[in-house]
Amino acid sequence: MNAALRPVSIDLQESEENRALIEAIEADNPEVTTRHLPGLIKLQAPGQIVINRESLEERLGHEWETGEFQLAIVSYTGNVSEWDDDQIIVKWEH
Amino acid sequence: MQYELRHQVIPAKRQTYQNVIDRLGDQPVSRYLEGTLDVQPREHFHYRPTWMPNRELYDERFSALRLTDSYRFTDPRQYYYTTYVAARAGLHDDFGKTLSYLEERALLARLPAGWQALLSSIVVPLRHYESGAQLVSVAGARFAYGTSLEQCCSFAAFDRIGNAQMLSRVGIALGGGTRDELETAKRAWVDGAHLQPLRRLVEEIMVLDDWAESLLAIDLVDSLVYPLVYRGLDEHALLGGAVAYSLVAQHFSAWFADQRKWIDALVATWATDPEHATANRAALGHVLATWAGRAYSAVAALAAAVDNHLPMAETSAALAATAESRRSPWASLIGGAAS
Amino acid sequence: MSTESPSAAPRKKLPLKERYALLTRDLDWEPSYVDREQLYPFTRYEGIKIHDWDGWQDPFRLTVDAYSKYQAEKDKRLYAVVDGFAQGQGHLTLSDASYLNSIKLFIQGVTPLEYAAHRHFAFLARHLEGPAPRFAALCQSIDELRHTQTQIHTISNYNKYYSGFHSWSKMHDRVWYLAIPKSFFDDAMSAGPFEFLISISFSFEYLLTNLLFVPFMSGASFNGDTPTMSFGFSAQSDESRHMTLGLEAIKFLLEQDEDNVPIIQDWVDKWFWRAYRVSALVAAMMDYMLPKPVMSWKEAFELYFEDQMLGGLFPDLDFYGIRPPRHVDDAIAEKEHLSHQVYKIFHNFSSVAAFTTKTPDDAHLDWLSEQYPDTFDTHHRPTWEKHQRVEAGGRRMFFQGLPQQCQVCQLPISFTEKDDPGKLSFRRSEFRGETFHTCSDGCKWIFDREPEKYVQAWLPVHQILKGDCGGPTIPDVLAWYGIQTGDNGEYTGSPDEQFWRAWHDPSLKHGE
Repeated sequence: MNAALRPVSIDLQESEENRALIEAIEADNPEVTTRHLPGLIKLQAPGQIVINRESLEERLGHEWETGEFQLAIVSYTGNVSEWDDDQIIVKWEH
Repeated sequence: MQYELRHQVIPAKRQTYQNVIDRLGDQPVSRYLEGTLDVQPREHFHYRPTWMPNRELYDERFSALRLTDSYRFTDPRQYYYTTYVAARAGLHDDFGKTLSYLEERALLARLPAGWQALLSSIVVPLRHYESGAQLVSVAGARFAYGTSLEQCCSFAAFDRIGNAQMLSRVGIALGGGTRDELETAKRAWVDGAHLQPLRRLVEEIMVLDDWAESLLAIDLVDSLVYPLVYRGLDEHALLGGAVAYSLVAQHFSAWFADQRKWIDALVATWATDPEHATANRAALGHVLATWAGRAYSAVAALAAAVDNHLPMAETSAALAATAESRRSPWASLIGGAAS
Repeated sequence: MSTESPSAAPRKKLPLKERYALLTRDLDWEPSYVDREQLYPFTRYEGIKIHDWDGWQDPFRLTVDAYSKYQAEKDKRLYAVVDGFAQGQGHLTLSDASYLNSIKLFIQGVTPLEYAAHRHFAFLARHLEGPAPRFAALCQSIDELRHTQTQIHTISNYNKYYSGFHSWSKMHDRVWYLAIPKSFFDDAMSAGPFEFLISISFSFEYLLTNLLFVPFMSGASFNGDTPTMSFGFSAQSDESRHMTLGLEAIKFLLEQDEDNVPIIQDWVDKWFWRAYRVSALVAAMMDYMLPKPVMSWKEAFELYFEDQMLGGLFPDLDFYGIRPPRHVDDAIAEKEHLSHQVYKIFHNFSSVAAFTTKTPDDAHLDWLSEQYPDTFDTHHRPTWEKHQRVEAGGRRMFFQGLPQQCQVCQLPISFTEKDDPGKLSFRRSEFRGETFHTCSDGCKWIFDREPEKYVQAWLPVHQILKGDCGGPTIPDVLAWYGIQTGDNGEYTGSPDEQFWRAWHDPSLKHGE
């Protein structure tokens, strides 16, 4: 199975602070599936998951730095392919 | 309305872990002690290091300085991970506020020429000195014997890179948000005549085998550099229309005061160890004999450079006036073996 | 002296990647007063070739100020949960006191490995030549201290009321089954810096991390252990950084020179097997020591290793010429049997361990039959039913001798052949005129690559027989281990169980 199809996933704490983040991810990644476990949300998608700062800021109503993702993440499967001021991308490279 | 909650109290079998009970009796103790005492393994290592087959994985022989019981030394600051990061979050938060304040008002660019030159050619290049100090400290994090000691070295290593990053951010701000000043600073560190004695000294310290000797050698340099460059110039900055300098320097002075607490306590513990005091004092004396003079010369070259930019501060004279016995805060702790 | 305002140019802001590089790798300089080899003496002897340290990527770009801020916030939240649980006497709401045997195994077996990682990532932070991986290693070193201490603190409350927690550090050094994890990490620490990167950063922190940690943390969640579960969540975000370091490490080394590929492959092969053998303890724990089970070992192995790693990661590494680990098929074949074989050892030998065990009851046996429909009833259920009958007669069987240990993984030799679950798997190697025993093809292969290393091992059973473990009798050895009354043996009737029963006894009078 090539990289574009193999699933990647991100696990986030299910908390009030992360509500906007989860909504932004679901909005920006149409193929993402969401599973609820106690205290945890598993987001899975084929190939890649993208987190866009702007998308999240719209939902938060205030500024957000991509570094703050450190506080939300529990785990991930895949490769952190990009992490700059505007975007975080988790995907398989090959 | 106040009220008291009744509990069904279940008697505890013990108040803490057994190793703590063995040392201090069965009583509740601090998180620092529970997280530090006797954590490092002591015996029955399975394989010798392929990178140093004449040593064990944890080995007192990584330094000439020894303790009968490592845990006679404890960190006066009582830093374990949580209290350490909380303290440093505060320090970096304060620094960030200072920097924002300076950046918003372009106060670094408005510094008098001499102060800008000081920052550009002497202070910002110290980011590389801090980086070298980090390499030295992290050796202690791996090779010191006992969690109480190595924990302080670990935090010191993280502190040094924190300091290097603060200086780097000052450099970026000084360069109007660009990397220009950092490039200048690196050239000064690598080629500038006034910094070569210090760079040479740091490189020679970095390759020492004994992690404690290298840590103490750096401390000898710190003990001259920090009072000179940060605290020492503070008054002159305030009087000389260079408040921005004072605002930056305060964070480094505060850090150095914190660093002193554990290093001085550790040296005192080495110097008074029930079995090893004599040998330790000799080793400490050896450190002084080897490195104190070198530290002085290296910092004197810096001081001369400071004089060029800020003659009214009379930095070289201030350095020379540092009494011989005060050139290291811990020299007096080792009595007759001091050089 | 300039008092003019500077021109009103908008303040520039450096992009994150560049700013991060300036605050980390740019701090480094090429030494000219000492030789590079003097400064970094350990980076050549493993045969790994690095041409450009600057090729290292930093996906997680945390500077010290951000690190301190985020980590302080995480610890505030975590300790609030730990304190709340203690205040509310939350241990009384666990599924059962027997659950805590899994946490005894954790603090005795895993917490010391966190500490070892803290110490040895500091070794990398000193001895790797590239400033970028050095800084990443320093952050990991500090993170591992966080894990060590938050575990000590989280479990401190259990230590007050239950057996088996009190002497975890001394026991890790001395007690027979703890030589399994201790020797694993000693093996990694005694290796060179690049092998350590592959063994721990890659194999432990990436390849097998979910298999090792999810059972404990999910087990905590299912069994009412809120603080351990909170620790798990909180540590996991650090683990994301560690996983990233591991993946970056292996890719960096593979990309630097083709000659590195076979060396790395050998390390992947060795460390998969070495870590997999340690995970056998987790297998036994998750199938047998959780009153409310999460999933079976078999299911966890299929999900976290076969699907996610063989199905996800290794296709990615195939690009570099790395194939799945040698002996992986043996691990796959063992998944039906591993947990049962190891728990039988625990069950037979908990008289000399710092935790208690019990025979599964019928409901538990039925669950195991469901999880292992093809093998449990034939190969393992009869043993447990025999124990049930023995115990119904008022006795409890403990093995009265000492087991033979594998020279490499140090597990008692108790696994069976892939194609014959009735036949003990047992291998021999000769070295300098002596015979050494291993438990499997995987461990034998590891031994034969580096016999001079594995013959150094401090094998607990040999040491007991030599008389170096406190004395000639079992009570002597237990005293030397630091085992106290209530720590060992059978769970039913133990002080922990009596306390639990008394507290939860519905027949007590109201308010008693």
